[in-house]
Amino acid sequence: MDESIQTVWNEAQTRANEAYYTQRRRITVDPITRLEGHGKIDIFLNEQGEVERAYFQVPELRGFEVFSLGRPAEDMPQITSRICGVCPTAHHMAGTKALDDLYRVEPPSPAKKIRELVYNTFMLEDHALHVYVLGGPDFIVGPDAPPGMRNVLGVIQTVGVDIGKRVISTRRRLREFIAYLGGKVVHPVLGLPGGVAKGIAPEDLPQFQQLAKDGLEFALFTLQVFKDVVLKNPAYLDLITSDTYTHRTYYMGLVDEANRVNFYDGKIRVVTPEGREYARFPAQAYLDYIAEHVEPWSYVKFCYLKGVGWKGFADGADSGIYSVAPLARLNASEGMATPEAQKAYEEFYNTFGQKPVHHTLANHWARVIEMVYAAERINELLNDPEITSQNLRVIPTATPTVGVGVVEAPRGTLFHHYETDEDGILRKVNLIVATQNNSARMAMSVEKAAKGLIHGGEVSEGLLNKVEMAFRAYDPCHACATHSLPGQMPLVLTVYGAHGEVLHQQKR
Amino acid sequence: MERRAHTLVLALGNDLLGDDGVGLEAARRIAGQVDDSVDVVETGEAGLALLELLEGYERALLIDSVVTGRYPPGTVLEFSPQDFRRVIAPSPHYAGLPEVLEMAHRLNLAFPQHIRILAMEVQDPYEFRTGFSEPVQEALPALVQRALTILSRWAHQQGVEKMML
Repeated sequence: MDESIQTVWNEAQTRANEAYYTQRRRITVDPITRLEGHGKIDIFLNEQGEVERAYFQVPELRGFEVFSLGRPAEDMPQITSRICGVCPTAHHMAGTKALDDLYRVEPPSPAKKIRELVYNTFMLEDHALHVYVLGGPDFIVGPDAPPGMRNVLGVIQTVGVDIGKRVISTRRRLREFIAYLGGKVVHPVLGLPGGVAKGIAPEDLPQFQQLAKDGLEFALFTLQVFKDVVLKNPAYLDLITSDTYTHRTYYMGLVDEANRVNFYDGKIRVVTPEGREYARFPAQAYLDYIAEHVEPWSYVKFCYLKGVGWKGFADGADSGIYSVAPLARLNASEGMATPEAQKAYEEFYNTFGQKPVHHTLANHWARVIEMVYAAERINELLNDPEITSQNLRVIPTATPTVGVGVVEAPRGTLFHHYETDEDGILRKVNLIVATQNNSARMAMSVEKAAKGLIHGGEVSEGLLNKVEMAFRAYDPCHACATHSLPGQMPLVLTVYGAHGEVLHQQKR
Repeated sequence: MERRAHTLVLALGNDLLGDDGVGLEAARRIAGQVDDSVDVVETGEAGLALLELLEGYERALLIDSVVTGRYPPGTVLEFSPQDFRRVIAPSPHYAGLPEVLEMAHRLNLAFPQHIRILAMEVQDPYEFRTGFSEPVQEALPALVQRALTILSRWAHQQGVEKMML
């Protein structure tokens, strides 16, 4: 931004803030501690001290598409994996699959298995991070624990030092395995159109098989911790099933041919709030099903189901709002493809006595069930006779035009869509990141939680934490959720009054 | 964890986000001017990943960008880990560093006893582009120099500690 504009902007912002403070009693939870990247929630109270509206905003990263145009599509798995340090492997894999599609090339079976292996390893270590470090404190330590305890230190104190060490060392070993195949975890270089760059040497296999066993033991142990700490505590279950944390929306997730959860490949399945199949489609058709709604107060676009339509921030079968991420994946599927995960899946639905489960906080449990699936799948793949095969690549020969790739990122369905000229130079790029699919439901969750938990202007630390819990369950990552803006997007600052009137607005 | 070097220079940032990558560029310049007692590492990660990166070193110098809005771009700020809670708008890369340190302590991990953080005030690290803004570009040599000064002081201290053993 030009310096003089910057000055005007800053002055205007100061004035706006002053006006804002005098007009409203404002409670800001800022920054959202423990979230990777920063977000902001503004809650507006009326004269009676009741919540009027709550807004959830994030700082935007601008201009990714513009940055990518004119570059070779082949660079995308590397470039997109560097969008942020949180889920590089998900972007890398979605980008790689988009290149397969772009060059109309089918990777050999061992290459697909290597990709799926790396991908599940990433899911396991990333989910573990959320369970123990980011979201776990809400449950493992407890939603009403003092703020100083609701962090990973509180988790260690609750589960013990030995468990803490085990979490650290298991994650490290999983990440070392990813690095073995893909180079640096943050900048993976594994995927190529039509295959992968590296396989597993037979002599290295035994150590990874041991890691897989340990990883499964760790996942099952985590499931037990969750059951012991959370499910045996009626107060937690009441919280999970309370209306404050419940939304009846559509759910989306990737499934295999038998409609079981799959993170790496398959069809995208959407179920209605009643659990009936609404759609089942290949990645390439995503634009027929998904549209984006824009709100003046956020740079994040709100995804919804095109066929149902945007009906505002509302629940129910008439509203096109859908959800992704662990709970949505379980809801959108008919089971898990591995035995222990399937057992846990059945227990999950039996406990709630309904399907779909609409309780946002059940995401935490669903995430642990997915850890078990990822770990079991890693074991299956590492014991597959093909896994040390060096038949890892089919060289693409087709002329590129359009390619779409999709994977289930830890935080939900991730779409990469590239269009190129005949030399493979990018002419169009569209990404829908996981958090963006969830953005509408997340906004509803924040507002509903605020409304349910704050009355008569009375706000305790515990209450505010419970508002944060509403979206932390989604494990949102906003570092890349706001990517999809043109380089020079209009910037609008809006301050709302008690009756929705705009008190102040500044544009650039 | 066994490390051969005793000192770590850890650069945090994303070089696709303009000024956000200033620490990475500084690290590349530093790498050519230190001996093998110093490891220079670049990362785009944060939080718990820092624990894995820092473990096993005696001293660590973190280099990053920061947007406090209180200093002109190009200003080099120096922090100790204890300062974090006082920073108004720290970079997201810091999120959890005090917790990471506390965690390392509770888990009895071999962790740096001396940690300093150099952060350069930057402008607009929220747009995808390569290259730095002018004030940041101009201030880069000063950042590198400041880092080298800290490293040479540490090297001296390390020598003294060795003699005393």
